[in-house]
Amino acid sequence: MGSDARVAKSAQPFLRVRSLTKRYVRGGVLQKRIHVDAVRGIDLEIPACKTLALVGSSGSGKSTVARCVTRLERPDAGEIWVGGTDIAGLANRALLTFRAAIQMICQDAVTSMNPRFSAAETVEEPLLIQRRGAAKQCRQSALEIMSEVGVSADWANRSVMEFSGGQRQRLAIARALVLQPKLLVLDEALSGLDLSTEAEIINLLLDVQAAHSLTYLFISHDLPLMARLADTIAVMCNGTIVEQGPKSQLLSNPSHPETKSLLLPAKIFQKKYAEMLGVSG
Amino acid sequence: MRINTLVLLLALAILHLLVIFAGFIAPYGPSVQNRELPYAPPTRVHFVDTSGFHLRPFVYSQTLTLDSYKEDRTREYPLHLFARGETYTIVGIFRSNIHLFQVAEPPRIFLFGADGYGRDEFSRLLYGGQISLAAGILATLLSLAAGTIIGTISGYYGKWVDESLMGSAELFLSLPWFYFLIAVRAFLPLHLSPVETFLLLICVIGLIGWARPARLVRGVVLSARSRNFVSAARGFGASDLYLLRRHIFPETFGVLLTQAALLVPQYVAAEATLSFFGLGVSEPEPSWGNMLSTLQQYNVLVSYAWLLTPAAALVITSVIYWLLADALHSRLKSHSI
Amino acid sequence: MKYLLRRLLRAALLLIGVSALCFLFTEMAPGSFFDEMRLNPQISPETVTALRARYGLDQPLIVRYSRWMASVVRGDFGYSIAYNSPVAPLLWTRAKNTLLLTGTATFLVWLIAVPLAAWTAASHGRWLDKAAAVVSSVLISVPEIVIAIALLALAVRTRLVPVGGMRSLGFQEFSTWGQIQDIAQRMVLPTAVLVLSSIAVVERHVRASVLEVLQMPYIQAARGLGISRTRLLFRYALPVAANPAISLFGFSLATLLSGSLLVEVVTGWPGLGPLILDATLSRDLLLVIGGVLLSALFMVAGNFIADVLLLAFDPRIRTGESHAN
Repeated sequence: MGSDARVAKSAQPFLRVRSLTKRYVRGGVLQKRIHVDAVRGIDLEIPACKTLALVGSSGSGKSTVARCVTRLERPDAGEIWVGGTDIAGLANRALLTFRAAIQMICQDAVTSMNPRFSAAETVEEPLLIQRRGAAKQCRQSALEIMSEVGVSADWANRSVMEFSGGQRQRLAIARALVLQPKLLVLDEALSGLDLSTEAEIINLLLDVQAAHSLTYLFISHDLPLMARLADTIAVMCNGTIVEQGPKSQLLSNPSHPETKSLLLPAKIFQKKYAEMLGVSG
Repeated sequence: MRINTLVLLLALAILHLLVIFAGFIAPYGPSVQNRELPYAPPTRVHFVDTSGFHLRPFVYSQTLTLDSYKEDRTREYPLHLFARGETYTIVGIFRSNIHLFQVAEPPRIFLFGADGYGRDEFSRLLYGGQISLAAGILATLLSLAAGTIIGTISGYYGKWVDESLMGSAELFLSLPWFYFLIAVRAFLPLHLSPVETFLLLICVIGLIGWARPARLVRGVVLSARSRNFVSAARGFGASDLYLLRRHIFPETFGVLLTQAALLVPQYVAAEATLSFFGLGVSEPEPSWGNMLSTLQQYNVLVSYAWLLTPAAALVITSVIYWLLADALHSRLKSHSI
Repeated sequence: MKYLLRRLLRAALLLIGVSALCFLFTEMAPGSFFDEMRLNPQISPETVTALRARYGLDQPLIVRYSRWMASVVRGDFGYSIAYNSPVAPLLWTRAKNTLLLTGTATFLVWLIAVPLAAWTAASHGRWLDKAAAVVSSVLISVPEIVIAIALLALAVRTRLVPVGGMRSLGFQEFSTWGQIQDIAQRMVLPTAVLVLSSIAVVERHVRASVLEVLQMPYIQAARGLGISRTRLLFRYALPVAANPAISLFGFSLATLLSGSLLVEVVTGWPGLGPLILDATLSRDLLLVIGGVLLSALFMVAGNFIADVLLLAFDPRIRTGESHAN
């Protein structure tokens, strides 16, 4: 009975997106207005504590989905269910509680950090903005999270510009965790890192997900990479999802040409590698 | 010209301290007249007399004979350091009567000569500096404050607010500044108490000059507003006020500092010019401008060169501030990404 | 063409803005302007009443403004108390002198600054450039009033040029050439002050833009082809550097016009400056407003000329239009 309940709970989708649509308008007063659909009719679901990877080539609209889910933009149509609430149409004031629950980590974290701030100031900022306690407490919580993600306490007062790429991503993760979110949206968070750093960050993300019971929405163009992290994969092309399903199914049996082309680099690499080693692919 | 910023700041500090401590450094008050010594030339300070070299310098009494001044060598009057003289106040709070140097009566020690009423030019220069520099600095602060507020609103809220505010900035910038200054001054009462005149000057000069700082601040705010770290903070639920205070304002400091260094000498010169024309600080309060206005008389201009010292003071002030502005500007450029 | 129309519109809006500002001043003066007039025994109460009616002081603000604008456009700038005559003719005679002075000064500034800037930019880093930089720093920082007084003192003591006024006594008897010479001599001092106070800024800007152009690849390429340095400078670099320089023209005109007030008063040149100053001191407010409006008109006109020049010089603006639409 208890295990059934647990299963039922973990099967309950944490994030559910239905028919999400976002348009952009080009032109203004003097030019003809052209409406461009960035994303159209997006449906996806992520069960609690699971990872969904949204992959596609650039321009496919995946970043727009990320921005809508985190309500940096307001969708033109559709529903975004977080827990039991549809946040798609909520006004800014009502969104405040959700802003803590959903956090985003971007590609180059550095541009989203004020170069004049120190590492500790950057990580504690969300706590200060949301007034989660006195300044001292906020600083303390920030330092704890920083040590959890592997940033040494000695570096707490250094400017964020002095950190390496991988360290900055760790800071970004720390900053995202500090408000105790439930959903993390990672928009190309692993791009631009060298392979060893990438591996480190992936491990960190997996540890953190387990430790804090987080749900992940991963945005990427690198399908093979996502294969290691995701439970479900959705493939986007030209603003819509063309194929979606569990990872194993997509990888072994891709049906849509877009999925196949995204898998291609890995397959080619595998083949060449196999050739080099004289092993059958 | 890459003169060390520190050196310039030191020079500036010395200049301002000299002026603040005018009461101590000047031997006489600014309005003390000596009608028997009109246009007296600078008193010569001697170290050597018939009996040889003296460590303590001395002066002779000057008297006007016919139409020139002659030294009366019958008696020497030594210079006393840290001697007592008239009472004065420093910044209106500290009272004292100890002066840097004094000479026993009856001779007067006019280091830079005297004007038509026999008033010590050196003392007036220092006291006048208080008014001229204070006017420049306060007007600058006013300009920067007005410009910052307007520029921030314009850059942050954008769209039609931005267009209308920057449109009026352009209006103000395209007016011939000095004509405008005179016009505004014309519409305000001419004869006011010295304090009122001073405040009025500061307001007029400062408020007319809001446009250029506003444009610069607007530029900084506009670019800062779209930076990713601002969006990130907004994503955490930060209010507009928080964003302005914590992220956007600090970006303007560099620009504001450079503008300050540029505006102060301009406004000091503006006060000087207005006072020169009789539209600013009026007699008997000295200001570098109204001290120069006697030079509009032909014979004064030709014969009494020492009355040009306020001009030299203006030049020194302007050059130091301008070099500082230059140094700050290059620092700003090299620091920004 | 569209570009010109847009600039014209902008100029018109600017003028309307300035006139509105000036009008507001007349409204905001503490105590009604006419109350002061009434106190003046030289003016009869009937005149005051008539003038009040003419200006329609009982009408709402907009109506008063449009009536005032209408009369201004017709050339009626009001009445001067001190001079006891209409403002417009007073302004015009003086304005011609100011235009002569400012025009000559502008011409000289650009005539000297542009080649000088090109030369110093070309000898970047060498002693000439450094010396020029020092001189320009000094000139920029010295306030205009000081330059005016210093040159005045110099002129008066050395008696090199006549000082004060525009014409000598007995001007009428001079030959045409003599008349020109006379005016030119008396113009030396004020022009020198104006030129010295604004040349440094112009030189710096032109030098900076020439330097920028000289770094461009196509200049290096031309150099490689063996084109002489002078030709390179004046036929290749300068026309391109002209664009940012011409935008400066409007600004330099502003400074010159603004500074001319000061210079005219100090050196005694009979232009708008002394007139407006006297008007200010004697509270002849309509004269002051008229002077401000006129000077603003000159500024806007000057800026517009700069825009026309820019259009003529820079083909990119002409073609840029077709791209934008």
